[in-house]
Amino acid sequence: MSGLVPGILKGLATTVRTMTKPTHTAEYPDAAPELPPRSRGVIALLEENCTSCMLCARECPDWCIYIDSHKETIPATTPGGRDRQRNVLDRFAIDFSLCMYCGICIEVCPFDALHWSPQFEYAELDIRDLIQEKDRLGQWMPTVPPPVALDEHSADPAELAASNKPPRAAGLVAGGRPARVARPAAAATTAAEPTPPVEPMLPPRRRGPSAAELVARASDIAEQQENGGEAR
Amino acid sequence: MAQPTTNRELTVGVGAGGLATADMVLNIGPQHPATHGVLRLRIVVDGERIVSAEPIIGYMHRGAEKLFEVRDYRQIVVLANRHDWLSAFSSELGVVLSVESMLGMEVPERAVWARTLLAELNRVLNHLMFLGSYPLELGAITPVFYAFREREELQAVMEEASGGRMHYMFNRVGGLKEDLPAGWLGRVAHAIAAVRSRMPDLESLIVGNEILRARTRGVGVLTPETVAAYGVSGPIARASGLNIDLRRDAPYLAYAGLFGEGGPGRVVTRTDGDCLARLEVLLEQTHVSLDLAEHCLDVLASLPQGPINVRLPKVLKVPEGEIYTATENPLGFNGYYLVSRGEKTPWRLKLRSASFNNVSVLSELLPGHLIADMVAILGSMFFVVGDIDK
Repeated sequence: MSGLVPGILKGLATTVRTMTKPTHTAEYPDAAPELPPRSRGVIALLEENCTSCMLCARECPDWCIYIDSHKETIPATTPGGRDRQRNVLDRFAIDFSLCMYCGICIEVCPFDALHWSPQFEYAELDIRDLIQEKDRLGQWMPTVPPPVALDEHSADPAELAASNKPPRAAGLVAGGRPARVARPAAAATTAAEPTPPVEPMLPPRRRGPSAAELVARASDIAEQQENGGEAR
Repeated sequence: MAQPTTNRELTVGVGAGGLATADMVLNIGPQHPATHGVLRLRIVVDGERIVSAEPIIGYMHRGAEKLFEVRDYRQIVVLANRHDWLSAFSSELGVVLSVESMLGMEVPERAVWARTLLAELNRVLNHLMFLGSYPLELGAITPVFYAFREREELQAVMEEASGGRMHYMFNRVGGLKEDLPAGWLGRVAHAIAAVRSRMPDLESLIVGNEILRARTRGVGVLTPETVAAYGVSGPIARASGLNIDLRRDAPYLAYAGLFGEGGPGRVVTRTDGDCLARLEVLLEQTHVSLDLAEHCLDVLASLPQGPINVRLPKVLKVPEGEIYTATENPLGFNGYYLVSRGEKTPWRLKLRSASFNNVSVLSELLPGHLIADMVAILGSMFFVVGDIDK
């Protein structure tokens, strides 16, 4: 009981102090929130870039991407030339009632057909309306922000590192991996470095992309173009 | 208001005065305002006093371990940050750390420090959540707004880097998904300073409140023996005097230096083992985590230019073998037992989550307490139902 009066005074003082401060909350529907460019709101589709390779649909952890496509034959343009085949996208849909917003589809897309947009206002009254077809997904494209500039200590982009590399036979494997540079620096601050695992189960060279793996990557792209047709 | 007396043998409720009473079985939950999430407690009460209590779990079982087995290591990260939605970053971390040590992969130094920073920010976010929700369960409405304002501050920087507010999905085997945005470190420093400057407000609302103190002091005392017997970990174990913290005792990431000689890290312990001690540990840990995060910022600013991840092969296969990796998650030990048979998916990925053990001890802790205290004890066990049921 003895603390009652000072307690009330203290409470009133806090009230007065808080009253003088500007409000911290925003009236959402009237004031739009400021979202960072990386914010994962909705997935936008740039249809022209899609080759219906099915990589996104395959990698999606809960298989919420639906793709239908067919192959079209483009007749040879020159006499005696070969007919060419092309994948045509019939359907591309994302079921946002299943999507876990992990962004793996965007990460694996080799042709930058998928992008994150911070837009989030697409709630529906019927769950079935959350399946967005390619025209709807395409409408998000104008809202995709440009990627953010990276931290000053970040590694140079792969293109820059590759172009700065002295030309030599092994230059193909470069791909901008200045991992070797980091080694001596790491040794200098061993105090803060976690102890390396006692017995590495893989020889260190397996860490980066080997020449064989680059070949595999190239053939993968070739393969996925075939796969696109089979998807039908 | 009830005085904080140690003698709680007041005869309250029916059955007092030598009348024969029958025990009553009372269900608390799975849908009940006093429990967060779908935890169900079956308690047997004699009048107002709890005779026995049994936590019944599984209402939110999603079979995470089985789902892990049919997903590659990037897809596992998506799932791993979901069982404990308040410690998403730390849970992701356990998976990638296991895979990295199985592969013998060396993670770039910038990634190590950035991960440590984000893990500590995640810890602050988690603790702020409980610092807000626990008073809510005890009837204090105000603190949650203060806690959430600070959470908002930190979530903004987390979202700026990772794109997610809760499920960050920012860890990858070999580092982080992408590099930090330009100027982000400065904004984190600003956010940490803002949170730190306003923490005293929250603190005085919680531990400075005599009603809250009266309801928590001496209530639900957990002995170190029970803690050890039930495998309780994290802030709850440390509130009972167990000086154990994996960040110091089995250091991963950059914690060896942070918790070493002269580092900003220290393990917060209390000896009382009651609800108030658990709350105090949480509060003080928040300050320690802010210190750690600030130190990480300084280190990150001084590191030389370098990558933040390792380029991975298109199909990542983990060599045959097994490993157990435990991390100190905000709520306690979070362990992954990874068995690989050389496939791109694990053969088995066992998840040891903190909340399961922390809640199991309730059957030991609740008997003898009044129903009103049950709410105080339940809230002070700091659990996430997804983390119990997996």
